[in-house]
Parts: sequence; C-alpha cells; structure tokens
Amino acid sequence: MQQYKKTQNKLILVLVGLPARGKTHISYKLNRYLNWIGYKSEIFSIKGAQQNNDQLDQNIDYELEIDPTNQQFVDFRQQLSFTAAHQLVNFLQNDGDIALYNGLTSTKLDRQKLKSLFKEKLKLEYQVFWIESICDDPQVILNNINESKLSRFKEKTIEQFMNHINVLAQDYESLENIENLSYIKLINIGKLVKVHMLEGYLCSKIVSFLLNLHANNRQIYLVRSCQTEYHLLDKIGGDPELSVTGKQNSQQLGDYFIEELKGNKNITFFTSQMKRGIQTAEIVGDKLGIKALKTKNLDEIDYGICDGLTVKEIAAKYPKQIKERKANPLEFKYPRGESFLDVIHRVEPIIYEIERSREPVLIIAHVAVLKCLYAYYHCNQISEIPNIDIPINCVIKLVPIPYHCLESRVIIK
Amino acid sequence: MQQCNRSQKIAICTVGLPARGKTYISRKLNRYFNWLGYKSRVFINGNYRREICGTECNSLFFDPHNEEAQKARSDCAKMALQDLIQFLKNGGDIGILDGTNITKERRHQIESDLKSSFNGIQTLWIESICNDSKVIQNNIRLTKINNPDYCNMDSEQATIDFLNRIKMYEQIYKTITDDEDLSYIKTINVGADIIVHQVYGFLLSKVVSFIMNLHTYPRPIYLSRHGESQYNVDDRVGGDSDLSELGEMYADKLADFFNQEFSTKEIKNEIIFLTSTMRRAVHTSDVVAQKLEIQPLQLKTLDEINVGICDGMTYTEIAQKFPNDFQERKINKLGYRYPRGESYLDLISRIEPVIFEIERSRQPVMIIAHQAILRCLYAYFHQNEIPEVPTLDIPLHCVIKLTPAAYFCDEKRVLINPQTGEITIKEEYVQEFIRSKSKQKSFIDL
Repeated sequence: MQQYKKTQNKLILVLVGLPARGKTHISYKLNRYLNWIGYKSEIFSIKGAQQNNDQLDQNIDYELEIDPTNQQFVDFRQQLSFTAAHQLVNFLQNDGDIALYNGLTSTKLDRQKLKSLFKEKLKLEYQVFWIESICDDPQVILNNINESKLSRFKEKTIEQFMNHINVLAQDYESLENIENLSYIKLINIGKLVKVHMLEGYLCSKIVSFLLNLHANNRQIYLVRSCQTEYHLLDKIGGDPELSVTGKQNSQQLGDYFIEELKGNKNITFFTSQMKRGIQTAEIVGDKLGIKALKTKNLDEIDYGICDGLTVKEIAAKYPKQIKERKANPLEFKYPRGESFLDVIHRVEPIIYEIERSREPVLIIAHVAVLKCLYAYYHCNQISEIPNIDIPINCVIKLVPIPYHCLESRVIIK
Repeated sequence: MQQCNRSQKIAICTVGLPARGKTYISRKLNRYFNWLGYKSRVFINGNYRREICGTECNSLFFDPHNEEAQKARSDCAKMALQDLIQFLKNGGDIGILDGTNITKERRHQIESDLKSSFNGIQTLWIESICNDSKVIQNNIRLTKINNPDYCNMDSEQATIDFLNRIKMYEQIYKTITDDEDLSYIKTINVGADIIVHQVYGFLLSKVVSFIMNLHTYPRPIYLSRHGESQYNVDDRVGGDSDLSELGEMYADKLADFFNQEFSTKEIKNEIIFLTSTMRRAVHTSDVVAQKLEIQPLQLKTLDEINVGICDGMTYTEIAQKFPNDFQERKINKLGYRYPRGESYLDLISRIEPVIFEIERSRQPVMIIAHQAILRCLYAYFHQNEIPEVPTLDIPLHCVIKLTPAAYFCDEKRVLINPQTGEITIKEEYVQEFIRSKSKQKSFIDL
C-alpha cells in the first residue's frame, strides 16, 4: 500500500549482532526492498562513515578490524560508529524516510547511548525497530565469512578473525525485554524468530519480509512469453495467443530448461493469467513435467485506453499522453490503466514468493512486469525501470549472492 | 495472491490453557482461509466432549487424576482428530484442531498420527500463552459464561467453576519446547511477544503474519458506496463517471453523518480512511475529508471490479451483444470473469492486503468504495459463505457499520436520504445470532 508512506513517521532500523552474523546482508536486502517499494531508504555503517572520511587510512577495514586488544582500532571504530549515527540523523531530518544503522550496538550501554542520541538530535516523530541476528551454528558462521568477508581479508586469517569474534562475544549482550525496545531476533537464519512489541504498518511488513529470508543462492529465471500475432502487427496490450513461431520458440525454451534444471522438479514456477503466458508456460511445463502456477499478479501492465492499438495509432490519437510519458516514464499512468508504480505494487507478493523459495524460480511473464521484478534485484533506483531491456526469446538468469546479484543472459535461437 | 497448489494438506493444532483465545484464533484463521478459497474447517475438542459426555461437567471432570474422565476425554479428542483426517482425505485443504493439547505426549501422538496418515502434510502448532489476568478474566466473561457447559449455573458460580477447571489443566501444562521438533508459533499476551519456530511454506508464512496482527480491540468499520454516479443513473457498468446531482447531495449528508459520529479531533485524526482512485469515490471522499479535516488514502486496490470489454455498456446491451457471457454470469456469478476483466474471485484475491490492514488496525476504519468491492469486504467480516458474495445487498446511500467481536459481528445500517438528510437505522440483533449458532447440532462447522 504505497500511499501509506506519506503519513508514516520516520523509521530507524538498528542491526544488532556479533560479526559474521549476516547483519550487512540483511541490511542490504532490506534497503533494496524498501527502496523498491517506494521509500527513500539508506544504510549508515562504520564502513560508510570510513569511506566518507578522507583523514582515515582507507587501507584498514574498520568493519573487519575488530581486534579488541588494539585500543587505537577500538577508538576509531567508536568514532566511526558515532559519525554514522550523526549522518543518519541528518538524512532523516531532510527527506529520508527510513534509515538502517549498522554500527556498535552489542551491549546494553551502546544501545542506551544510541537511543539517547536519537532522542536528543531528531527533531521529529520517529520509530526505532531493532533487528538482531544470532547464530550458534559454526558452519553457518564459517560460510558467512567465506562468502562475504574473504575477499576483503588481507593479512588476517580466518582463525584470527574467529578469535576476535570470540573475545567480543564475551561482552556481547543480546536484546532483552527489559530494555523496552521493539525488536525481532532472527536465530540461525530464521529457524527461530522472536518478535517483541511489534507496532505499525511498516514494521509489520518488514517482519514478514525478514521471515522469508534465507541464505540459499538459488537461480531466478525471468522469461518473456513468446511471440504473438500482436508482435507482428506492432500492437500493444491485448490478450492474444501465441503465433506459430511463438509456439516453436516455446518448445526451444523448454529444451533449454530441460538442460538447465537437470531434472529438478521442485522449482517454483509462475506465470500470468494471460493467454500468451499460459500457453508458453504449458509448452515449457510439459517438457519439464511440471505445472506453472497462474497468477493475475503477473499480468502485463494495463494499457488502459491504449490497449490493442499500434504504436503509430497511439502517437496519432494520444500525443499528449506520449509527451507525458516521455517526461516521467516511471509514474506515467495510461488513462484507465496502470503506471509502473502500480505494477510494482501488484508484483510485490511475487517478490515475497521468490525470496521465500529455496529452489530455483522460473517466471514466464511480460515486459513491464519483468522490468519491475528485475529492478528489485538489480537497480538501485526505481527510476531506471522504464529503461531496462527485457528482450524476447531471452532467458535472464539472476543469482543473488551477498551484497550483489550475478546475471547472465541466454538468447534462445 | 492465491496459490492454487492444493497438493499439500495442512493441519493446524492449537495449544494452551482455557480462556487463552484458542477458539478465537481458530475461527479467525478458518474464516481467512475459506475467504481465500481454501476448504477449511475447525474441529473443536470441547464440542466433541460436550456431545459425548454431556454438558453437566463441572471442574472435577477435568482433574488429571480422574482416570475415568481422562479416558473419556482422550477418546473424544481422538474422534476429533480422526474426523479432521477424514476431512482432509475427502477434499479438505486445511484442518484446524482446536483443543488444549497441553502435554508433550498428546502433541507427539497427534503429530505422529497426522504424519502417518498422509504422504506429505504440513503441520503447524499455535500456542497461545497469557499471563495477564485482566485479559483472562475478560475472555472468561465474554465467552465462557454463555457456553453451554454453564447454562444451568449463575454467572458467579460459573466463573468459580471455570477458574477451578483452569487450575486442573495448569497441573499438567507443558509449553512447547524446541526438542519436540514441531513447527510452531507462540503468541504471548495477545501478540506482545511472538515466537516462530521452523515455519515454512506459502500459506503457513501467511498464517504467521496474520497471527502477528490479530487483536481483540473492538473497533468499528464503516463501509459506504460512493454517491450515485452518472453511470448508476444510466444503468451502465464500469466506466469512471462522476457523481450525479443526487450523488453530490449524498456526499454532503455523508460528511455530516461522519462528523457527528466522530466527536473529537483526536478520534478523527486516528481514523484510517480508505477510498479508491475512481472519480466517483474520490469525489465523495473529498467532501467527507474536507468536513472532517482528514486525508483519505486512495488505493487502486479498492477500484471497482474490472468489467473488461463490457465497460460502459448497460445490462441490456451486454445481453444483446454477448448473450453467452450474459448467461454464463447468471449461472456462476462468483467465478465468471468478464473478458479482459475480473471475476469476484479475482477481486477477493486483489483486496486481500486491505483485509489484512483492516484486521491489523486498532482504530476506526472508514471505506468509501464500490458495490462489488464492498460485497467482498462485508462478506469477510460478516462471515458469509463465499457463494453469497455476488448477491449481497449493498445499496447506494447507506453506511454499514460493522463491529467485529470475538464470536460474531455486530452490524448497523444507516440509510441516509440524500435529499432530506433523513436517517433510518437498522440494527442486527446479535444475541439471536449467538443463540441460534449454539443450538446447532453439528459440532464441526463454525
């Protein structure tokens, strides 16, 4: 419900947890999600504060330098943590909606200080929600380090890093109800979740989102439905069936996926309720031996009064709309139809499903809808959406990994 | 979004002492699933016990040392579970077992019975814990005293007996622990704390969100259609016409009504005011918004049902141009989808997020929308059967005030004459509703 944001208080999400507990990963994912659904959201961290400070030695990674015995490092980390908090306050005082804070929050005292800082410096209504990530599975911790920290390690070995974490763990204080904070604790990547004093529309949404997160790096395939008569006539919208070529291409698509999925029938397979989506999915599904779930959420953008017209006819009949669309392609709404923002909103439940799925995901849909889905994984600004290229007969394979998303495209001949 | 994957059955079992809201949660979930299109049913241990052992059971019947009574109760619980399993085998999607299930042994038994009866079944345990004595007292007052177990006692006696009954249960109550290896949700003190353990799956994830947002605050929900529109006058469907003169008058009178209804500025500011993005609704809402000095949220989700190619036609024209569709719609108004448009089932799916938001809200909700949309919303709160949805009576120029409570929904209809401003009130007498339901012989359907 996008319009809600205008009436929201500012929101601060504070991450709590020992190193290598996935805090940064969670903050990236959340930040990406919140920006995608239309909020102005940013992350404030020790690393961020360091990058903005020219006086500091940029070769030392203060996020990883957690050596509790080196007083200089300890002091620097404190300072940077503080700076990040100030930057956060500044952001919210201006036009920021949501700020994520990834700094020093491991003890009750740290958290008290942070709360006081916010109280003192923020001159407007705000809400704070605490997100703690706890992990006692050594394999998971090791995986975390390997996947996200390894590339940044210079002289330090994993063993040293683990030793430092163990020292920090001695002073670590998990969130307690007595601190009177509204929080969620994610334990062992969502195997166990505890929520305390949950309040508000946005926090509720964030909790639902977090419940679906996991660390499986599974592939997501985005494909357009194949060629229809409308393509040949240069018409947009409508609910046409596949052309002969379209049916052939669907067969080839099916063959591609047979090889790609290697017999895995447990995939999450979605398509729209439009004829071209259903037909393409049926042909591909038959080859794979699985059935697609048809959902109206994946239907193409509603072109309103322009539905069924050719591009030329629209230019002739509705020049004013063409102009409007050129000026603001993201928010432009076809009269009696939808805008990209409406499509994002409509497609949000699908994102939840993709996130939740630990198996490969295959989505057969349509241009505008796929642009929105693609943007969730790849774009930092939703304003980029109208310019995303989603060609026909092309499989876009996305593999989200910590802080990043791998992409490859295969044209199906 | 509707997931039509019916291959996996789901069994949900409650855990908790009496007066902890287990039946409330079961009913709410059951309602939600049925509304979404799943076949769901609640099986209440207590009802089985009443049928078989009679209702003259005082607290001694529940003494864990009363061996004979224990056997009888255990047999009743087994019957409830068997009926649930049968239900799932005969086409049911979700079975909800509403019982105390407070011992590890009982839970283990149920879990293994369920797992052994099906090839792949998802089970979820929902434990409701409450140590707030005010809440417990309130629960007892609201629900137990009207319970058939106590129809022959006066309310003070009933309360004492009931509290004794709870003490019996407390002697053997063991909360769910992780080593039982169950998927569970624990809700503590009506959602102040929630613990979720190993809950995966599309529907069960939704259950978690749903439970997190449940509360028992009785807040009113006001539903009204926009004022009469041009298309209403011409008897056309669809379109985005504006209000007729009569419609504009209604908007004014509606604003007056709401102004009277909400007395203070504080209350007005707390209202959740929703409308659609269509001209006739926006226009009506703006008049109300101006009077109350609040802002409505315009949601495309609340736009009227999309009538596709029939947009702008009268029913006579539709009958002439698309006689087959016209007939189809008459036979199955619920599932019939206008070509390039929507069906009522699509609508229900579309407005699910709004239902969620309304459930979550603890403040008054005001919705100015359209006939088909309001039929769906009304049906959810009023617990109508889904097939009834397309024919529910939601007239123009009428405000429907619903106040959902634990076991029923209070309804008041305010008919406003747009020209004179005269108000006629129709109230549903809820006590009749409760009495008629408890007389029902069937102890399965709710």
